[in-house]
Amino acid sequence: MVDFAGFSMPVQYDSIIKEHEAVRSKAGVFDVSHMGEFLLEGEDVIDFLQYVMINDLNLLEPSKGQYSCMCFDNGTVVDDLVYYEENPNKFRMIVNAGNVEKDFQWLNEHIGSRDVKITNLSSVRSRLAFQGPKSDEYLQPLVDVDLNSINRFYFAHGNLNKAPIFIARTGYTGERGFELSIDNVYAEKTWSDLIQTGASPAGLGARDSLRLEATYSLYGHEINDSITPVEAGLFWLVKPKEGIEYIGKKILMEQKTHGTERIIVGLNLLERGIIRENFKIFKENVEIGYVTSGGYSPTLKKTIGLGLINKQYKEIGTTLEIQVRNKNLKGTVVSTPFFRNV
Amino acid sequence: MNYEFPDNLKYTKTHEWVRLEDKTATVGITDFAQHQLGDIVYIELPEKGANLERQSSAGEIESVKAVGELLMPLSGRIIEVNSTLVENPELVNSSPFSSGWMLKLEYTNELEINDLLSVEDYKRIAEEEN
Repeated sequence: MVDFAGFSMPVQYDSIIKEHEAVRSKAGVFDVSHMGEFLLEGEDVIDFLQYVMINDLNLLEPSKGQYSCMCFDNGTVVDDLVYYEENPNKFRMIVNAGNVEKDFQWLNEHIGSRDVKITNLSSVRSRLAFQGPKSDEYLQPLVDVDLNSINRFYFAHGNLNKAPIFIARTGYTGERGFELSIDNVYAEKTWSDLIQTGASPAGLGARDSLRLEATYSLYGHEINDSITPVEAGLFWLVKPKEGIEYIGKKILMEQKTHGTERIIVGLNLLERGIIRENFKIFKENVEIGYVTSGGYSPTLKKTIGLGLINKQYKEIGTTLEIQVRNKNLKGTVVSTPFFRNV
Repeated sequence: MNYEFPDNLKYTKTHEWVRLEDKTATVGITDFAQHQLGDIVYIELPEKGANLERQSSAGEIESVKAVGELLMPLSGRIIEVNSTLVENPELVNSSPFSSGWMLKLEYTNELEINDLLSVEDYKRIAEEEN
């Protein structure tokens, strides 16, 4: 168990590789209750989210969720998150564990005169992720919702063995699957019900190796308060939103149009070794960036990573050197995602 | 703790085990150490013939979540390394005291043997760290 944003979290239940493989081959259950959950209610919720989020709420409809970032004026990231439209006046938002208080404050500071009330449900509800190719098959007998009727990024409310549950077809593993939210009183029972389906418990270690293969950004690594979504390769998230002002819009649209000096790329090693966060990247002995995330890919059985580097080296196939402790190992820029089944 | 602690071996506080034979020693990492590291995916061992001082680095052990170092338990010359670990590093997880051995050395200072730990002393250290 490790301390993670104040929660005691299992890095692994058994073996990171076995848990990773279980999610890729059948299904895994992740306890992600450390993440934050807010409810936003009021007449002006959509108008408010259009102002603080970089993605476009016009693409949303009731029963659908959307991935987005909220940014500072300079375009760097306050947090990346998913919000779900329960109805035009009520949104559920899932945020990163380490950012719960910052986000709650940031959101409240920017409501202004709008009719928006934010409730922090993080400590009264629990969140589980149920991910893998067999997640539909395993979950369906437990719930009174037709899972086929929930398309990707949509959600429904139903019951799981009598526990009222929020079920969204979203995830962070690169596999099909669901993210669930329930009242704390049902959490333990729901966890054991889900384990009994044949799904394996999966910890933080597998969550990280799966998301790295799928090349999903992790706050504090690919995005943070000194990296913008465009630099992180999330330029598709930055929407023009004609006629709508939003925080960070000016600089992000400019970056989206003209590019940035730095950009995150996929990395492979041409020699044996493992690259990890913050290792320095060189091109002919000149430092050109650093590794934002790196590790062993259990699916591809080789070392993979993401690095923030100067844009002139971003082309696929560019060779570079990554400093692994006392020596430089040869690496190359590769296309991403490394692996995804969705 | 459900870890193995063979009592015919000597140990170091940095979690190496040492099997002493006549003038030579076989070295690996303990069951406790492999558990702490988790799934091992890459191992780098020294060149055969290298002369290394006690406590100097004799290799790197990369797991999915961390990197560990193999330290020389005794000063000496490397006479053999377990090259099967290059392709099968997971042997260190599955059998740390047998097929997961890492290197054999010819020790040069017999007195250093006195500083190796008994199984009881090592068990105590592992329990404290657990």
